[in-house]
Amino acid sequence: MKIVAVTACPTGIAHTYMAAEQLEKTARQLGHLIKVETQGAMGIENKLSAADIQGADLAIFAADIAVQNRERFANLKIVEVAVQDAIKNPAALFNGLAE
Amino acid sequence: MIAIDFAFPLANGLHARPASLMQEACLPFASVCRFRNLRNGRHADARSVLELVASDTAAHDACRLEISGADEKKAGRALRAFLRQDLPRADDDLPTPAFATVQTAWLPPVFQHGAVSVLPGRALAPGIGSARALVLQKTRMVALGFASGKKDAKKELRLFQDACREVEAELRSQAAAAKNATAAAIMKAHLAIVSDPGFRERIIGLISRNKMPAGAAIAKTTLVFCGILRRSASAYLRERAGDLEDIAARLGEKLYGHLAPGSPHPERGPRVHKGQRPHGPQVVVAASLTPSELLALDRRRLRGLVLGDVGLTSHTAILARAFAIPTVALPAPAIKEVSAGEELTVDGQRGLVCRKPGPALKRYYRLERMKLRLQAGQLAALRGRPAQTADGLRIEIAANIGGSKELAGVWRHGAEAIGLFRTETLFLERETAPPEDEQFAAYHQVAISAKGRPVIIRTLDIGGDKPLPYLSLPQEENPFLGYRAVRFYAEQPELVKSQLRAILRAARHGNLKIMVPMVSGLQEVRLVRRLLTEAADELRLRKIPHAPRLELGIMVETPAAALSLDHLGKEADFFSIGSNDLLQYFLAVDRGNARLNALYDPLHPAFLRLLFQVAGQARKAKRWLGICGEMAANPEYLPLIIGLGFDELSMAAPAIPLIKERIAKLDGEACRALLRRVMHCTEAAEVAALLKEFNGRGRAAGVIGAGLVRLGSASRTAAEAIKELCDLMELDGRVDNASALEEAVWKREETFATDLGLGFALPHGKAATVRTSSVAFLRPRQPMRWGGKSSAPVRAVLLIAIPATTKGEEHLKLIARLSRRLMHEDFRETLLAAKDAKTVLAAIRTCLAAK
Repeated sequence: MKIVAVTACPTGIAHTYMAAEQLEKTARQLGHLIKVETQGAMGIENKLSAADIQGADLAIFAADIAVQNRERFANLKIVEVAVQDAIKNPAALFNGLAE
Repeated sequence: MIAIDFAFPLANGLHARPASLMQEACLPFASVCRFRNLRNGRHADARSVLELVASDTAAHDACRLEISGADEKKAGRALRAFLRQDLPRADDDLPTPAFATVQTAWLPPVFQHGAVSVLPGRALAPGIGSARALVLQKTRMVALGFASGKKDAKKELRLFQDACREVEAELRSQAAAAKNATAAAIMKAHLAIVSDPGFRERIIGLISRNKMPAGAAIAKTTLVFCGILRRSASAYLRERAGDLEDIAARLGEKLYGHLAPGSPHPERGPRVHKGQRPHGPQVVVAASLTPSELLALDRRRLRGLVLGDVGLTSHTAILARAFAIPTVALPAPAIKEVSAGEELTVDGQRGLVCRKPGPALKRYYRLERMKLRLQAGQLAALRGRPAQTADGLRIEIAANIGGSKELAGVWRHGAEAIGLFRTETLFLERETAPPEDEQFAAYHQVAISAKGRPVIIRTLDIGGDKPLPYLSLPQEENPFLGYRAVRFYAEQPELVKSQLRAILRAARHGNLKIMVPMVSGLQEVRLVRRLLTEAADELRLRKIPHAPRLELGIMVETPAAALSLDHLGKEADFFSIGSNDLLQYFLAVDRGNARLNALYDPLHPAFLRLLFQVAGQARKAKRWLGICGEMAANPEYLPLIIGLGFDELSMAAPAIPLIKERIAKLDGEACRALLRRVMHCTEAAEVAALLKEFNGRGRAAGVIGAGLVRLGSASRTAAEAIKELCDLMELDGRVDNASALEEAVWKREETFATDLGLGFALPHGKAATVRTSSVAFLRPRQPMRWGGKSSAPVRAVLLIAIPATTKGEEHLKLIARLSRRLMHEDFRETLLAAKDAKTVLAAIRTCLAAK
């Protein structure tokens, strides 16, 4: 599967990046392609391009705050979870996607 | 009549100490001296400390001294000098009321547990103290009859005057016996009140004219003056009312015995509620406590003070700080809630009192005490250590003194030298010049006390503003641009040589140097050299032992001197910039003129350029360069001072510990880089902004250091772990105030707990108190529950602190990288298995350095 994801937490200092790392790591293990955009204290990094989004099968939002530029994902299936869930149990998250 | 207009120079206003100095300055003259505050229209007899204090004069108020009488010219000259030289320095060693307190109403969650009752108040003296409450009774003024037993004004008056004499004698002996300088100063201020003509004559009038009983006359007069003081705009002056009541009570005690209002019983101990155990450690609770009552308490058992409506600058609070007694003021209803014998924790950091603290809170306060102890240790270590920047640049920190009386405080504050000994006090207020032997005694005392440390003695710096009867200096329109200091040395060689001989003799006993004031050309230095040689020759002829030579320095305070260090260096061994005068001469701004306050700015780009040039010339001439003005004592200016490359900074002694601490955190190269940028600034505001940014950035290197790792911590809960980590940040200089960070961390923790379910918790906070983004690591002895729903016990805690503004923060990237790395089990295992702090540091640093 081709996945795009956005992570964002209230302070944008630690959990945004932990969730991103966890998503990338787990996707790799499960054989998915993933690109994760972080919306944290340093602003938006690893920004998803229109092409990235167009080519994706679905989007994951691991966010405790509103995702910026959400309209970009208008035509995509979005799975929304809390940042904690992405960090603590990423395997369960990806298993859920398959269904 | 002579009128002198001036702007009141002291930040705390005209309180007892400057008022008593002003009184002393007026006393030698027969002329009538009236003090007028032109802002509020109040006026006072300048010989009455109380009337002066009651004039409610605040900093920068426009004031006028009016002098009329036979010797008004002489008095005018003396008072002008007093206003210019002595008054601005009257508060130099006043214990500063500012101390590090927690400036937030927020309380950590541990305060909400159990049956703790928290009474919020105001911190008066820092520290934490716990013990059982000893409640002292509140006393009231009561109507008093005739002290003599009958309506006999004469007898009553005699009794009153006897009482005054007794109290004066008591205060004098207490001041002399006081081991603590603050206590002695307060006793002296009280002495000034009891001897005050305004106060005493009013009472005498009431007794003799109105036939009042002495007690009633004292009470009425006290009430009048207290009323004026309490209406004052300055908090400091309002709090002087407590001193007046103390004096009234002492007088009452002498007149009536212990029945008097509010009488203290130094011999009999404090007034104790019945049924209270008077032994063991105690927290004393008293709605009002006068300075003499505080002095009468047994301080060995005193763990804390809980007072009623008492201000930060009241003498009771000043004493509490001097004796390091944690003290909190509570509002009137709250203080009544405290019952005798119950356990109290006085929190002089947060300004609150906890009744019956439970085990969790006690553990929390144990951590707080530990931090305070470590901080005190850090300061004490700084005191003994030479000042040095983070990159190893040595700077000598010296003290300015005006007389040998200030010596004890100088060394206690950790001065490494005396950078400026003003000798004028030896010469003022006398009919004849001080004999050489008398001067020798003073210099000798300083030399002995310095134990080999350098002492720079400034030679006579006097002009037409300070008339000396034995030195006929002309009266001048503008004595500060006049015939003063080194400029009259040629005409008064004997006076100068007596000083030089005395110094040469004393220099056998220590490392004395001389410094010449007001130099504007080489010929002046050559003159002093010649006088010095003559003085030494005379001593040799008289076979009086003396030092073979003295280092001779120049006080750089005229722009002319500042621009000719290369020439002056031929005759001078060292230079010290007198920044106060140099600035006023350079900018043509009278620093005593309130209207010009904004112009008198050491950050003026032209002035900084001048200093830059001076520093370069001094280096070229291979002469060491010091600075002894107020600029040297300002921690905000420090990066510029370091950047300029001064060898020595000399300041009022109390400023020394903070300056040393700040220096240790600065990096010489970074300071020089800042200075290079500042040299391009076009206005002072621009310099100030650059400085502010620089100071805000903080100088701690890297995001983690050895001081930020604690293994085997005794913390058992998230509350303790977070507190301990925040304290590590403060102790390491990463944050100014651990509690403010703690607050930010807990606010974050409340949105959801930051344990990851992997045995790790990652609390973090963003706050203005954070100087530089940092992480701290803690491993508890036993795994702890974090409080979230996570079942996994937490075995390691990583706390992240981020400044409020993080624009261009390189550190944020590092922390993001660290957070990502924590998602990998091998990294977590390394941190959990590490045997020592060094391994933890290495693992984290490797992770941060990775691409």
